Amino acid sequence: MRIGSMYKDIVKSFFSPPVTENYPLEKPKTAERFRGRLHFDPTKCSGCNLCSKDCPANALEIIILDRAAKRFVARYNIDRCAYCGQCIQSCRFKCITMPGDDWELAALTTEKFTAYYGKDDDVASLMDKLTNPAPVPLPEG
Amino acid sequence: MNIISSLISLMFFPAGISLILSGMLYEWADRKLVARFQNRIGPRWFQPLADTIKLLSKEEIKPHGVNNLLFYGLPIVALSGALTAALYTPVIGLTPTYSFQGDLIVALYLLSLLTMCTGLAGWNGASRFSIIGATRSLTQLFAYEAPFLLALLGPAMAAGTWMIKDVSTYAESHWMFISQPVGFVVALIGLMGKLELPPFDAPEAETEIVAGALTEYSGRGLALFHIGKSVELVVAISLVTAFYLGGIGNPLVFLLKTLIILLFMSTLQSMLTRLRIDQTVGIWWRFGALLALLQILVIVLLKGWLS
Amino acid sequence: MTTETSLKRATEILAPFSKGNANPETNRLDVDIEASDLPAATSALMRNQWGYLSAITPTDLGKEMNKLEVIYHFCEGAAITSLRIHLPREDQPDIPSISDQIPVASFFERELGEMLGVHVVGTPDSSRLFLPDDWPDRVYPLREDFSVEQAAPVVPRATLPEIGRVGNKFTVPIGPQHPALKEPGHFEFSVDGEIITGARMRLGYVHRGIEKATEKRNWIQNLYLLERICGICSHTHTSAYAMGVEKLAQVEVPRRAQAIREIIAGLERIHSHLLWLGVAAHEAGFDTLFMYSWRDRETVMDLLETLTGNRVNYSIIVLGGVKHDIAAEHSRSIHTALDYLEERIRYYLHIVTTDASFLQRTRGIGTMTLEEARHFGALGPTARASGLERDVRIDAPYGAYHYFPVSLITGENGDLEARFEVRMKELLVTCFTIRTLVDNLPPGELAVRFPRKIPAGETISRVEAPRGEAFYYIKSGGGESPLRIKIRTPSLCNWTSVLNKAVGHQLADVPMLIAGMDPCFSCNDRMITVRRKNDLQTFSWSQIREYGIRKYAAVRELK
Repeated sequence: MRIGSMYKDIVKSFFSPPVTENYPLEKPKTAERFRGRLHFDPTKCSGCNLCSKDCPANALEIIILDRAAKRFVARYNIDRCAYCGQCIQSCRFKCITMPGDDWELAALTTEKFTAYYGKDDDVASLMDKLTNPAPVPLPEG
Repeated sequence: MNIISSLISLMFFPAGISLILSGMLYEWADRKLVARFQNRIGPRWFQPLADTIKLLSKEEIKPHGVNNLLFYGLPIVALSGALTAALYTPVIGLTPTYSFQGDLIVALYLLSLLTMCTGLAGWNGASRFSIIGATRSLTQLFAYEAPFLLALLGPAMAAGTWMIKDVSTYAESHWMFISQPVGFVVALIGLMGKLELPPFDAPEAETEIVAGALTEYSGRGLALFHIGKSVELVVAISLVTAFYLGGIGNPLVFLLKTLIILLFMSTLQSMLTRLRIDQTVGIWWRFGALLALLQILVIVLLKGWLS
Repeated sequence: MTTETSLKRATEILAPFSKGNANPETNRLDVDIEASDLPAATSALMRNQWGYLSAITPTDLGKEMNKLEVIYHFCEGAAITSLRIHLPREDQPDIPSISDQIPVASFFERELGEMLGVHVVGTPDSSRLFLPDDWPDRVYPLREDFSVEQAAPVVPRATLPEIGRVGNKFTVPIGPQHPALKEPGHFEFSVDGEIITGARMRLGYVHRGIEKATEKRNWIQNLYLLERICGICSHTHTSAYAMGVEKLAQVEVPRRAQAIREIIAGLERIHSHLLWLGVAAHEAGFDTLFMYSWRDRETVMDLLETLTGNRVNYSIIVLGGVKHDIAAEHSRSIHTALDYLEERIRYYLHIVTTDASFLQRTRGIGTMTLEEARHFGALGPTARASGLERDVRIDAPYGAYHYFPVSLITGENGDLEARFEVRMKELLVTCFTIRTLVDNLPPGELAVRFPRKIPAGETISRVEAPRGEAFYYIKSGGGESPLRIKIRTPSLCNWTSVLNKAVGHQLADVPMLIAGMDPCFSCNDRMITVRRKNDLQTFSWSQIREYGIRKYAAVRELK
């Protein structure tokens, strides 16, 4: 039984710098396997949609613009994603990666949390379709 | 002239505003030291000031069914007690502003006034936690008050006077922490009990009774109690330093001595676990009181033998 | 005693009551009994000291079979005996209580009553456990015909049940909001001065409805749902689930994957126990130990990030194996981290056994004898500190524990100090096990192909979470989603011991007692969906004051 068993630690800490990381002045280095924001490569995608079926959070959706011409756009909800990495496992063609350095995702508005990935003209045509929906044909007569 | 100088000394220097500011500095030093001992960064120098300003600007919520007079009046009485006690003690190493025979007892009583107001405020708060906190606060008061008083009485008996100023003058030539070591230890540990610092912080045990006696206070009332506690910190440390570590003398040296005592208290704070209230009382009434009485006995015998 | 002899003994003991036996798996015995025979069957098992009650599974078998099923699971070593009782599918059928023989059953019976709508005759406490006060009567979430719309909130009852009615004593509420609790839970202690004279508790504040939610997701999605039951036992939940599903699909996981699963489980144990050490020290008022143990926890979390990709909720398990490998550079960093951690763990063991002020708060407090631990059904390090030898990794080894076993750590005194000691010593054993595994990783693949549809059947899997035994009952109907998953987490079994031991101690000991059993409230509350369409009850400021005044007026009358 002794009083003050932690004195060694206390004295040592008094003479050494604190361990607190000075974020945001010093950014920590994340591990290589760390799961950050999802990145999607549309060139390899086949439109099987296994990734969105297996997503536990319904965060990913592959929108098929033209299956034969291989035009796919992925709609990804950054806020819904649980960063579990199951989509990476489910995709047989390795279209999806979650690089470990893209993790500072806070934003002030929620619009930034829906991301569209694809070839530029594919995304542009999807955006066009979403903002200007095709006119519904009037009923006959 | 007299009135104006009294007012200035009461409101600005050395009591009043400057005392409050130095209380905040001491509180900051204590928190920073504890943080460094725990390998953390700790708050910046203006943190206690910012805390006080924030508290003063927040809404004060009065619980339903408490006594209005007590609720609003107790923080004021507590703070004034602590500030008035400063008039008789050599804070910041200067001669006390006012002195009279017996002001040692008055100063100590005014410091206990703070604890008693806390206890009364807790009873008045009428929530489960504040009642238990008030009970613990007053129990602890009964426990450490006697040994602490006796420990401060030792130097007074050696100096043969009840006036703080005279005791400090006597202490300048007689370094009493060497001649009365037991009393010094009891005074230091009693200081931690008085200020409700860990390991004697059962009255405000955050993980058991939320915030103890002050649970129901917010805004201005809490700010005044908080300031009162930091003022008490300064006053009590100054008293112990003046008695045991060589009286007044050079203000800078005095400040340094108070900081050494603060360092010692912060170290003890980081090293020990919070004691249960029955263990606190047990330690004080078994060891504290006995040791202090022993010390007094030794002084009496020595004085009788020397004269 | 081997599993076969245990099961044979159980068959003999239960022969007088059995309506039909079955052996669905090599280590399981299913016995159909009548509801009225339940107390006699239970006392037969207890008299012959056959195992302990591990869980009670309520299931609604559906409209075609028109029956409700309640299964009582008893475990001894690796053998599991399940007493299956069928009840008519009406409102509140009767079933006798066994709480007088097994105190921990009262928690399970409360759950049974409110979730399936079964009337348990003779249970000492039939108040709600998980569901909130304003849940409508006669709406049972586990029934097949339950829909979310039925759970519209009724007018909330303004007073908390039984406040201050425990005689003339003072009642101190700890929770749901309290600095001592890291997660919400409600305890009511009636105190006389500082001595506690009675204790009650309420759970369900982080109730998220996970068991019912698993029925709507496919097998792969459920991996991640179940992982998020808890932050620090996440790997054990996934392990248990994956083990069960792999048993149903009859897929053998490669040895390398099993070893990697065990390594991550060991690292999670280190993570969890260091976190617990800090929290318990904070409850005692020893903030320095809190800060230092959490600083060292960062080492293990960074290591887990390097190995698995996340500091919490590692997601390294897939059905059929693991996702990532442990390569040479990883094993080097594991060894370096473990060197540092072992030294620190030894230091903490030294502190919790020798620091005088800390021992004042832990030695001789909350002492639970071996008999009491067995009677209260305690699990995990809380039970082992009293000398009870219960550890699923040793009684019923699973995964890589067949080839890389761990040693059993028990304490003697059963007080808080013993619990601290047992956990720290467990960590030293875990470090040794991890090092052995990393140095001797069996070669092989990381994962095998896994079917998307799992064949029909039921299975039970048990793993040793840092807090005790986690029990999973998984039932598949042959489709892409499970039919029923029942999860019984260890913290639920340990509450009985805390509540019983609290009486007679001081109020200041209560946070330490609660922390001593390492409660995981998130693990407890996972029963049935609470997602209601209009569940936002917005109070205006004056309304909250009104509510509070009415509540405290009831207290004031007591004074």
